[in-house]
Amino acid sequence: MNILLHELRAYRKSTIIWTVSLIAITALFMSFYPSFEKESEGFRNILEGYPAAFRDALGINLDTFFSVLGLYSYGLTYITMCGAIQAMNIGASIVSKETREKTADFLLTKPVTRTTILTSKLLAALISILITNGIYLAASTLVMNQVKSADFNSKIFILLSLTLLLIQLVFLAIGIIISVLVPKIKSVLTVSLGTVFGFYFLGIFSAGDEVKRYISPFKYFETTYIMENSGYEASFLIAGAIIIILAITASYMVYIKKDIHSV
Amino acid sequence: MNVIEIKNLTKTYGKARGISDVSFNVEEGEIFGFIGPNGAGKSTTIRTLLSLIYPTSGSATIFGKDTVQFAPEIKKEIGYLPSEVFYYDNMKVKDLLNYSASFYKKDCSKRIKELAEIMDLDLSKKIDDLSLGNKKKVGIVQGLLHEPKLIILDEPTSGLDPLMQQKFFELLEEENQKGATILFSSHILTEVQRLCNRVAIIKEGKIVTVEKISTLKENTYKKFKVETKDTIDPHYFSLPGVNKLEAKENLTSFLFKGNINDVMRKLADIEITNLWIEEPDLEEIFMHYYEKEA
Repeated sequence: MNILLHELRAYRKSTIIWTVSLIAITALFMSFYPSFEKESEGFRNILEGYPAAFRDALGINLDTFFSVLGLYSYGLTYITMCGAIQAMNIGASIVSKETREKTADFLLTKPVTRTTILTSKLLAALISILITNGIYLAASTLVMNQVKSADFNSKIFILLSLTLLLIQLVFLAIGIIISVLVPKIKSVLTVSLGTVFGFYFLGIFSAGDEVKRYISPFKYFETTYIMENSGYEASFLIAGAIIIILAITASYMVYIKKDIHSV
Repeated sequence: MNVIEIKNLTKTYGKARGISDVSFNVEEGEIFGFIGPNGAGKSTTIRTLLSLIYPTSGSATIFGKDTVQFAPEIKKEIGYLPSEVFYYDNMKVKDLLNYSASFYKKDCSKRIKELAEIMDLDLSKKIDDLSLGNKKKVGIVQGLLHEPKLIILDEPTSGLDPLMQQKFFELLEEENQKGATILFSSHILTEVQRLCNRVAIIKEGKIVTVEKISTLKENTYKKFKVETKDTIDPHYFSLPGVNKLEAKENLTSFLFKGNINDVMRKLADIEITNLWIEEPDLEEIFMHYYEKEA
């Protein structure tokens, strides 16, 4: 419990900054909607001139693009990318922070098991991400209601917004396993930016191909599918869950057996 | 009763040297010195005891319990001070010590205050703003605040000024009188000599000897330096048991191990102007162990 509270306090500042930034991006993006809607005919003509593959790569679907949810889901691409960086940052710093700041000796000579330490840190990370998502969902609901010209399906809106949480969970797990496996991470941000952008570009190149989509977690939750079916694709939900379970289990196994070297 | 029992402990890291076949016991209530130069394996041994790293082979027990299997339980009664202390920088000293105390199921606030007063530590400062010596003090308070039965110190004095070092040693002696066992690792021999009852000397990952400090000193030679009125024959002192005989004009010096009366008789027969007979300090004994093996 004490470790959990200490970790939460350590993440407090960055959680606030990330949450505010995510909300700011959504607000800014959606504030264009009223004028965007007015000019939709002109935009449609331009976009129709682009090759279909290019539109797919950018995640633009002409059928839904001009609805308020359509624009939101387009903006969500960038929101989830930022969210992935946040989650990856937390995940990758969970263990590496102790090594880098040389506090591992302090924590690991206390009367607690390594399992307790990792569990507390994991819970703190999870809580920070849940708080981010809770506040984000509330704030973006407000924004959407401000800019909408017609009512939108709020179930689909929530399903779309929750892809942020799902993608964050996957990247949190990836971050943790990296921080346990790599002996010393000098800069967490470099690692998380690299990984997130790597997967993001892999996602762009694998757009449209069902098998290749499994490579990038960014492609697990296609907004077009969610808007058409108001649900997620089960096979990709399972793929995400498998990644999370494997990464977390492996992290525990490695961390419990790991030698903590002096600096 | 033995508080620490180490049996054939071995830790290898790929090519780098670890420790091999280290065995020794630390008895309850003693201050046990663990000496050797940097890189000899002191920290590796200590980190294995604290299960920060896991042994390749062999085992160790603390309070009769296996250090790997019962690590969290054992650590309730251990206070550890590493050679280099680094703590969560954005915390205040007070918060860090309270965080540290929160791991032990007892009220440590009174002891924190006492220790901070003895060590002259400002609790309201941010750890970030502290000097190296003051960070070290935080480490000391952090290691002692739960009144542990076993105190493990890994090169604890670096960064402390002599005055603080003195206070720190007094604090350790006090804890020892209250019943705490202390394992004190160091490469500075005078501090070991001052505090410890017994020592283990480690060299290149292997224990060279485990001895009482008093025995270590008894079993060694005395240093003689004689100034004579006239230059004497350099072989005048060539007795059995004499070593490193050096003569420079009328100053002769040598090491002697054996019956001291033999030397005294020789001395009585010559005209001397000055005489020094010295006990070798631990440093020289230590060098002796290192040279012998080299």
